[in-house]
Amino acid sequence: MTDTKKYLIEIETPDGVLVTSEQHELANTKYSADIELPEGYAVSEDGAVEQPVERTETEEPLAENKRNHLGLKVSRTITNTIIHIVLIVMSIIWLFPFVCIVFESFRVESTGQVNYIFPKQWGLDNYINLFTNTNFPRWFLNTFVLGLAVAVIQTIIVLAMSYVLSRIRFNGRKGLMNIMLVLGMFPGFLTLILLYKLLSGWGLTASGGLFGLMLVYTASSGMGYYVSKGYFDTIPKSLDEAARVDGATRAQVMFKVILPMAKPIVIYTVLMGFMAPWGDFVLAKYISHYDEAGMNVAVGLQNLIATNANKSANYTTFCAGGVVVAIPITILFMCLQKYYVEGVTGGAVKG
Amino acid sequence: MKNTKKIVALVVALVMVLAVSVTLFVACDNSNTLIWVSESDGVAELTLKQIEEFNKTWDGEFKIKAKIQGVSEADSATQVLTDVESAPDIFCFAQDQTARLQQAAALSAPGSAAQAKIEAENDASAVTAVKVGGKVVCYPLTSDNGYFMFYDKRVIDESHLADLAALVADCEAAGANFCMETSTSAWYVASWFFATGCVSDWTTDKDGKFTAVNDTFNSDAGVIAMRGMQQLVKSSIHVSSSDADEFNKGAAIVVTGTWSIDAAVKALGAENVGYAELPSFTVDGQTYHLGSYSGNKLMGVKPQTDSAKAQAMHALAQYLTSKECQLERFEKFGWGPSNLAAQEDESVKNDAALTALAAQNEYAIPQGQIHGSWWDIAKVLGQDAYEVDLNNVDGLKERLEIYKGKIDDLFKMSEEELRAWTIIGKIAGTNWDVDFEMIESSTNTWISKDALEISEEDEFKLRQGKSWDVNLGGGVNASQNGANMTLADFGLSAGTYKIQVVLTVDGSGTITGGTVSLIAA
Amino acid sequence: MKQISTLDYLKMNGWNKFLYNLKCFFCAIPGHLLNLLKKIGRFFKKFGLAVWANLKDLWLTFKNGRWQTKLSFLIMGFGSIWYGQPLRGVLFLLFEIVFVLYMGMAGAHWLSKFDNLGDSAGYKVDTEWGETWVNGDDSFKILMYGLLTIIFIIALVYTWRLQIKQCRINEEIMASGKKVKSTKDDLKSLLDNQYHKTLLALPLTGIAVFTVFPIIFMILVAFTNYDASHDGRGVLFTWQGLQNFGEIINFSSGDSVVSMAFGEILVWTLIWAFFATFTNYFLGMFVAMMINKKGIQFKKGFRTILVMTIAIPQFISLLYISNMFSETGFVSKVLQDLGILSENLHLFDDKANPHLTRAWIIIVNIWIGIPYLMLIATGILMNIPADLYESAKIDGASGVQQFGKITLPYMLFVTGPYLLTSFTGNLNNFNVIYLLTGGTPTNSSLSGASGSVGYTDILITWLFKITQGTDSKYYLASVVGIMIFIVVSVISLIVYNVMPSNRNEGDFS
Repeated sequence: MTDTKKYLIEIETPDGVLVTSEQHELANTKYSADIELPEGYAVSEDGAVEQPVERTETEEPLAENKRNHLGLKVSRTITNTIIHIVLIVMSIIWLFPFVCIVFESFRVESTGQVNYIFPKQWGLDNYINLFTNTNFPRWFLNTFVLGLAVAVIQTIIVLAMSYVLSRIRFNGRKGLMNIMLVLGMFPGFLTLILLYKLLSGWGLTASGGLFGLMLVYTASSGMGYYVSKGYFDTIPKSLDEAARVDGATRAQVMFKVILPMAKPIVIYTVLMGFMAPWGDFVLAKYISHYDEAGMNVAVGLQNLIATNANKSANYTTFCAGGVVVAIPITILFMCLQKYYVEGVTGGAVKG
Repeated sequence: MKNTKKIVALVVALVMVLAVSVTLFVACDNSNTLIWVSESDGVAELTLKQIEEFNKTWDGEFKIKAKIQGVSEADSATQVLTDVESAPDIFCFAQDQTARLQQAAALSAPGSAAQAKIEAENDASAVTAVKVGGKVVCYPLTSDNGYFMFYDKRVIDESHLADLAALVADCEAAGANFCMETSTSAWYVASWFFATGCVSDWTTDKDGKFTAVNDTFNSDAGVIAMRGMQQLVKSSIHVSSSDADEFNKGAAIVVTGTWSIDAAVKALGAENVGYAELPSFTVDGQTYHLGSYSGNKLMGVKPQTDSAKAQAMHALAQYLTSKECQLERFEKFGWGPSNLAAQEDESVKNDAALTALAAQNEYAIPQGQIHGSWWDIAKVLGQDAYEVDLNNVDGLKERLEIYKGKIDDLFKMSEEELRAWTIIGKIAGTNWDVDFEMIESSTNTWISKDALEISEEDEFKLRQGKSWDVNLGGGVNASQNGANMTLADFGLSAGTYKIQVVLTVDGSGTITGGTVSLIAA
Repeated sequence: MKQISTLDYLKMNGWNKFLYNLKCFFCAIPGHLLNLLKKIGRFFKKFGLAVWANLKDLWLTFKNGRWQTKLSFLIMGFGSIWYGQPLRGVLFLLFEIVFVLYMGMAGAHWLSKFDNLGDSAGYKVDTEWGETWVNGDDSFKILMYGLLTIIFIIALVYTWRLQIKQCRINEEIMASGKKVKSTKDDLKSLLDNQYHKTLLALPLTGIAVFTVFPIIFMILVAFTNYDASHDGRGVLFTWQGLQNFGEIINFSSGDSVVSMAFGEILVWTLIWAFFATFTNYFLGMFVAMMINKKGIQFKKGFRTILVMTIAIPQFISLLYISNMFSETGFVSKVLQDLGILSENLHLFDDKANPHLTRAWIIIVNIWIGIPYLMLIATGILMNIPADLYESAKIDGASGVQQFGKITLPYMLFVTGPYLLTSFTGNLNNFNVIYLLTGGTPTNSSLSGASGSVGYTDILITWLFKITQGTDSKYYLASVVGIMIFIVVSVISLIVYNVMPSNRNEGDFS
């Protein structure tokens, strides 16, 4: 028999203190007794978790008879220095392509591909070209609207789906989950042609492409419930039961008790929904069918460098477009990074 | 919590407003025609202007309000084919897709008067390009889709321009690249084979379906072509690319076409770019001038259900491909016109790039219709030239054999077709050149699919798999290799009949004969 | 094979233990496959029994029911209205009316053509100015709307059965004297015990229309000859039976290029998924451990930098990386300048060494995957209680031993399911392969197969290529898609079933 131990999820707050995630969010969560708390935490009488004693990161001096992880009598400082160097090199490697793209977007002396990185002449020509000569503003607007719409609708659908699958035990629940697992294994590309013809029959391609894309992204988003469901699973069922004993309907339980607690996962889902349309080019190309009204940023930029002649003329403009697209997304991501991390570690692992 | 709700409500409202405004913006579009042109800068504007001129010329008879979208010609045919029904009414495409488009019934052929006009007014390669199965199916737009040589005047000695080996040596000495696509595109590979006289001619029926090919790449001339190719590909300065951007990355020669002029000028500066016809290579003392494909951009009209609209579209297409419009495009973008009169224009004659192209076109073969799979099969020859050692003639021969095998496979008949019986003869207006289909109504009983009109002088036989290996003739009790059958053999007079045969099969499954009968239909 | 006792197991040294576990794993596979088949058999048996039970129930309801129930067999919803559930009754009735109208107007038309997918295609007509088009049957539309009609009919049968059942239940309730659920009750329960239905209605409808329906459609396409030359509009396509599957599996005949291509690509897909998943996993864990180590400064900074790469859309970064490594690109020039290479770097063209390109794509995938894995690993690592490590240290365990006995088993246990989904995800990882290499370098020995097959093509990119281009063969793509699905699901089922039972749980704690 396996002995499953439940642990609270620890996240480091900006001031370096290790606290539990839920605790970071609200103060009066109740936990059932079979949870084992790590050192330093205590459960008070009414069941709330008490904030631990200040645990700040301190450098412990290395006692002479302590060995470090590699079992060598090398002082910890040297190992740490090596690791620091490795991490710095890694950071450079990881950031390298982006830095290159930014450089290329400022290059003026030639607009095609070259084999060096630092521009010989710097200028804003590419950005000006991007906003005046191409339809980039239209694509950006399209994608932005799409992102918002998908974020809102997808969140509603995913949350509904994962809440039900996590909290309510109904007939056919396991069957439904298995079916969706199996459906997810079908490669999605085959359905492109059918989706296109279906949507074009309803007038939702080409000039109606925006609606068509929105429909396609959100309609099947219910299948991506794993992370949210995993997160909901970590919220104890005793809360549900307590509320129902008090006479609340299921609907009230969901809106008034559980959802407020699930703010991290809600924000995670909104973020994922918003980011989805920015990178998708296969489906968007099919559905927009070269009509500006339906093109999103990915398709538009891709078209700029589709043929060789285009590539020679537009490569740097493409890079500029890439930078303009990447910046808002990255900023958004960094602001909401905390929620993203919580969502992933909380949900993806358990789910 | 209240604040979050407020924010969410605001966001939702914003989304709704944006979505509605976008839709309204879109709905204010009242065009009645959709046109796809090249996406290069300025083409859409010029086309709009030309359409306005057209409307004025026709003075209200055709009121065309066009919506123009920029789609690269290389991609437009594929896009049209994914959904012909909602395809644009007029679209510009590269000619290698004509047969495919005709097969998919995506091209509406112009009327006979217009067809004659096209044949009379445009150059030979354009006329070949717009024909499928002998019939003109679309309108020619440009005649500059061939390739020739661009070179960097500062690196290449112009006296070497005619000799491939000398050019390779020049490039090696300067450490600069010689860019010609060999293993990435069969379009350029073909130039080596055309140089030595090989051909690859494909025939289609009037529906655009490929029926046969005359391909002589697998021959001694083909081996010489491969050996010539090796002189280039085995060099370390060879790059398989036709991208004018290579001039930015250290290339001295790029084999490409007029679409790269802008990029080349930008990379090297207008005074350093030279244009020339392709060089010649020498094998075993004999010199061969590299050939090429001459190609065209074409304009196609989608078949309409409404005949009034069809008339308007064809009139528009005729106008857009007329001499005046082609000259306008040449002046603005440098596109070589296909119209013979336009080509005689002074400005066209003085264009350096077009002159080089014209010089190369003397050795060019009009592209015509080519089977879609041929491109993948033939480009392998470029890779083969690289892989096989120099002087290993047998190795080259082997590769050409494999190539021929793959080409033959394209026309291989399916199992079904090999089993099927057909009627062939001097019957129903044909003369031993058409097989009439039969269907198997029950085991070993075949009956003609459609009824045939047979007259007293007609003769026919039955054969299997469209080949004479297994055939039946001789009369009611037909036998292998029997004589031609006539109505007299069956005691019948002229009329419409269906021919039926019940095959006699022996124990091991071989067909030994059959009972033939004619059923009045 | 014989099971050994726990005591003996613990006595074995590491290598023997490993061998034993491996033997257990492989010996268990046939058992699991058999279980799977048995489960499928039981499922069909249950299904058959359920159908039979329903039929019996229908007959009994009809025989024993009141006249209102009997009338409900014809007019849906009548019984519900009569018994006091007006809302339900009206909904049922509406459904029936819509169905009849649809069948009359369009449904019968589509169904009648469904058996051979159209009799006569459209054609062109010569006129003075050019050719015009006359519309005919469109096989694609027939297939699509015919399928919709069939689904509609199934839905109707199901709803009809449902309302009959409700009539019977209502009869029983009334017979026992209790009150029937009123409309108000219904609406209230939608927010309470039937809340799951309320919540699931919209998502499931979306999934049904945009996922299930297309998948069924594409499975049907695999049995037709829908391709570029039979596009349904100008040339009809029709049913082919199992012929297409023969094309793929047939290794002997002349058409074997397609089956050869399938075999080769399948092998590379499995190799790719394996390496892509596990290199990312272990390296991500390693990086997370490094950053998490006590004494490292700027923990948050390092993590943020790595995590930022998730935010940038892949089509930008991957396209750029692919250009960087092109023949005349930046990396090629630098390597030549440094003297490491004597000529251009060949990765994507035909002078390339395909194994080098394959290794390269796995390495670049590490760049893409590590940040995500690092996040997950960090979250889990922080969860491992520190006292485990301290007690191990007191016992004298070295760093490696601590890793092997504490960290690794814990991680594997917790992220087991995630590894599986990651593996199947990599099997279908379109973006990375398509954007980085597009499948190149081209595999010339497979050049007769549809789509220009390359050495780095995985099944799904090959599938995409088959549907693009002018010689697209949708039916072939469907068949390959079905094969992919079978491969992925078999692997998933095997691994999923074998995983938890393979471990000796006592070892864990």
